[in-house]
Amino acid sequence: MTLSRIAALLVPLLFVAVFVYALCKKVKLYDSFTAGVKEAIPLAVSLFPYLAAILMLSELFEQSGLSSALTRMLAPVFSALGIPAEITKLVLLKPFSGSGSTALLSELLSAYGADSYIARCACVAYGSSETVFYISAVYFSSAKKKRLFLPAAISLLSNFLAVVLGCLLCRVL
Amino acid sequence: MNVIFAVIFLLSSLLFLFFDANGFLSALLSGAEKAAVLSVSLLFVYCVWLGFFKVMENSGLSKKLSSRLFPLSKKLFRSNDREALLYASENLSANLLGLPGAPTPLGIRAAERFCAEKNDYAADMLFVLNATSLQLLPTTVLSLRLSAGSASPADILLPTLICTLFSTLLGAVLLRLCYLKKLRAGQKR
Repeated sequence: MTLSRIAALLVPLLFVAVFVYALCKKVKLYDSFTAGVKEAIPLAVSLFPYLAAILMLSELFEQSGLSSALTRMLAPVFSALGIPAEITKLVLLKPFSGSGSTALLSELLSAYGADSYIARCACVAYGSSETVFYISAVYFSSAKKKRLFLPAAISLLSNFLAVVLGCLLCRVL
Repeated sequence: MNVIFAVIFLLSSLLFLFFDANGFLSALLSGAEKAAVLSVSLLFVYCVWLGFFKVMENSGLSKKLSSRLFPLSKKLFRSNDREALLYASENLSANLLGLPGAPTPLGIRAAERFCAEKNDYAADMLFVLNATSLQLLPTTVLSLRLSAGSASPADILLPTLICTLFSTLLGAVLLRLCYLKKLRAGQKR
């Protein structure tokens, strides 16, 4: 896999390039780096309440059976749009939880085989959508902005249509 | 967010009430536990990237990058706050490269400044661009496929790229349409 090797090289290359450049500009590397790290703990602490709320919510959503009830209800609608019923749950879960949907994706991969139609649809669905609720909770945690309905609705709609397109593409390509 | 939280929370709670009253508290606790674990692992990620970003800032590289991207990002976000635009364009670059965890601190800073500027359009655009996942290389999916024994892990790359481009473009266009009136009114003023 040459592509994943290139991806692996990216991060170390980025660090080396920037640090060498910084040295040329006579930046005190150690002082700058530690000054940056200093901001990490306050940031993590300020995000914690929002993470806690959103993860409790996603845990409730899944364990209450609400997510599987929704999955059952929506599966016929989804399959009418060309989304296989097997990945309905993934599509519903992804906006809430990155780690939860990653676990679900790897379950789907091992259950149906990595190269099956369902698994490929699942991969495209996972890769082309994003954890919308997580982003709305975290990105705007410190900003005083209350109305996030419009961008959230637009993002959810675009991601959903992208999944529909993805399942179509997986059949053709 | 408040509405979504209330609706999903209450619906799930009712289901617990009827079917599995004992599971309610344990679900909440396991959510909180996951949040604590995630916060700690995010802390590691932030240590690495915030250190890196500070070096980039002090070397003047950030400034250079921002003046290169300024005309483009100004058009995209319709903001005049140079610092906010710098954070936003760095956030988008980190997203594109798929650097895990790196976009978040940059996105938070950009969102703070956009909101302080009272620029709803810019803040919403930042949200949509981040929430429709603009990514060139889906590294997580590739490694999962590789470990699941796929014969050709990369054959989802093209459809994923098309879809993520599609969702990002669609999101940006829809948002622009929603703001069309406001933006025109703003220009006339």
